[in-house]
Amino acid sequence: MHADPPSRTIGWRLWALGPVLLLAAVVGLFVSSGSSLVDLIGHNPPPADEVDIRRVELRQGEVRIHVTNPQSDAITVALVTVDDAIVPFTTEGPRKVKRLRSTTIVVHYNWVRDEPLSVGVTSSTGIQTTKEIAAAVETPRATAQGFLGYGIIGFLVGVLPIALGLLWLPSLRRVGANWLAAFMALTAGLLSFLGVEALAEAFDRQAVLPAGLGGAGLVLLGVAVSYLGMTFLSKSLRGRGTETGGLTLALLVATGIGVHNLGEGLAIGGSFAASELQLGTFLIVGFMIHNVTEGLGIAAPIAEGNDLPRLSRLTLLALVAGAPAIAGAWIGGYVSSDVLGVLFFAAAAGAALQVVVEVSRFVARRAPGGLGSGYAVGGFLTGIVVMYATGLLAA
Amino acid sequence: MPKNRFTRRRLLAAATPLVAAPVLGKLALDGGGGNAAAADHAAMSHAHRSLAMGHAAMIGPHAPAVGGPHDLDDLLYPPAARPHASGRVREYTLTAVDRELEVAPGVFFQAWTYNGTVPGPIVRATEGDLLRVRLVNAGTHPHTIHFHGIHPTNMDGIFEVVEPGAELTYEFEARPAGFHLYHCHATPLKKHIAKGLYGALIIDPKQLRPPAQELVLVMNGFDTDGDGENNLYTVNGRTFYYARYPIRVSRSQLVRVYLANLTEFDLVNSFHLHADFFRYQATGTGDHWEYTDTVMQCQGQRGVLEIEFAHTGTFMFHAHQSEFTELGWMGFFQVEE
Repeated sequence: MHADPPSRTIGWRLWALGPVLLLAAVVGLFVSSGSSLVDLIGHNPPPADEVDIRRVELRQGEVRIHVTNPQSDAITVALVTVDDAIVPFTTEGPRKVKRLRSTTIVVHYNWVRDEPLSVGVTSSTGIQTTKEIAAAVETPRATAQGFLGYGIIGFLVGVLPIALGLLWLPSLRRVGANWLAAFMALTAGLLSFLGVEALAEAFDRQAVLPAGLGGAGLVLLGVAVSYLGMTFLSKSLRGRGTETGGLTLALLVATGIGVHNLGEGLAIGGSFAASELQLGTFLIVGFMIHNVTEGLGIAAPIAEGNDLPRLSRLTLLALVAGAPAIAGAWIGGYVSSDVLGVLFFAAAAGAALQVVVEVSRFVARRAPGGLGSGYAVGGFLTGIVVMYATGLLAA
Repeated sequence: MPKNRFTRRRLLAAATPLVAAPVLGKLALDGGGGNAAAADHAAMSHAHRSLAMGHAAMIGPHAPAVGGPHDLDDLLYPPAARPHASGRVREYTLTAVDRELEVAPGVFFQAWTYNGTVPGPIVRATEGDLLRVRLVNAGTHPHTIHFHGIHPTNMDGIFEVVEPGAELTYEFEARPAGFHLYHCHATPLKKHIAKGLYGALIIDPKQLRPPAQELVLVMNGFDTDGDGENNLYTVNGRTFYYARYPIRVSRSQLVRVYLANLTEFDLVNSFHLHADFFRYQATGTGDHWEYTDTVMQCQGQRGVLEIEFAHTGTFMFHAHQSEFTELGWMGFFQVEE
């Protein structure tokens, strides 16, 4: 650095404000010029005037429509239809909805249980946005009972199966180094599958967001935050050491899986609240079986140590990986934010991919024969195939 | 959001039912079952809350209609019929003008109009009159007026397109007697009609119909979002207008309704009168009268209804397509002694 006197240094720092002030001045000039620039080129198209119907709540004799204005021009809610019939309505919030603001439309309506329902919101320019509800069911309310219900669901699909999966630990400890590497690789394969799925889900969800809120960049944000967050966590956990292994790696795997299960819980809670999901025995069981394998993934890194980890640590691992499903179910059940959904799934993808990298490094260092060994390659592919096979069942 | 998000896992579960599953699943389901029961209860118990619901919410000040009580008088009440007089000329000027119309509360439609309204003004003449209709195009697109009736083909409003800023006078003998229409026939035809360029044409027979309280109801629709389907349906251009302001008639005198269908996109429209019957003469011609309470008209069809109300009271009328009814095409006669 130059040895400038302090006063000059401050001067140059103040100089940094210059471009900002100039930008403000130019923006001010441009805004005050009105539409004259556009007039040089042609005409602006009219605003799309489509609201974003974010959530439709059904209560007894009542339909509540939550809408957001995704465009820069204000939208006036002029007319509301339910099942293609104009209905009287009131709004909780403004009728003229400004940019990115929301309002709730309340309609007294005798909806028919289990039958499809469509709601339409027409702007003052006559543009109608509709949303279909596949089958009308009263929207669960935030009751203590419901809260407990979502909690139990989260526990059943998250914590319990992972805890059960961890019970494989004693058996895992008795397998040879080659097989242990295979199981570790299987964990990586499994997580990579989950990561790719979560990524696809995040992209799907961002695609249906209004243009102003969506965008692939939102997915990148979620992936980057969780990937880099996990990298930072990994570095902090292993302290000065350069190698991630044992409990640290298990904790990382658990964290990655935990972020994934947050999204999973969110999806279950949100879909149920939106009457899109039939919450049946099979679904719950499906998640349980699925997540047992996640328990195995967490157990693999701690299988090679000399001592069996204390029960409290195992419990902690199960909670880190599984409990986010409970939180996710609550959030999904009672809060609806599509943006949050995209971020959660993107975060799940980032976390899963980071853990895949971490586990792969571990396998590369520890496995006899490294990453290229038949056990590692076979394990990884088996992990993917196991997940893919379940997909084939559904095809 | 795709509905089948969980299919893969659901099927995975189906393939491998676990021992503990039924118990745990049932445990998880209890919340859902409770909700279903609550909804059942809801469906049954809120009837008493429905004071502001149903048709009661759609009459008088509650009805979602635009404007004041006399806004549409010129479109509802035709000019008086004139007895036949030989050599008489009836002159009208129709100015095509683009106008933003509020067709439902807060909903604005970018209309093309004759004289600023949709439908356009009622044109009336007696059979044998010379009709002289001047079209002034103050709009932004070429327009014409195509009259239904018997006239020379160069007065038919299909080839003689009137450019913006130009004008043309149509001149022909008014015949045959009946209830007819006029509309723009410039291309694209569908667009010019959907935008609102149409109206009612009454040609009275030389021997005038018996005196009556005469009304004109033009059924139409508005495709406010331009997707080729109507979003709103009306008579005389505003949703629920005659629900907001019921049409007052007296029981002691015949009510004659000139009913036309100028709805674009939908094949048919219809008129149904509650709590009474009427005579219906298709196209307002011939001797055949149907005695009914419901008539159906294809696009461009029209006819004359004669109602002798048996009672006083509030008589609903609407399209018998329930969808049209609930999208604005509904009103009332307030029949007084």
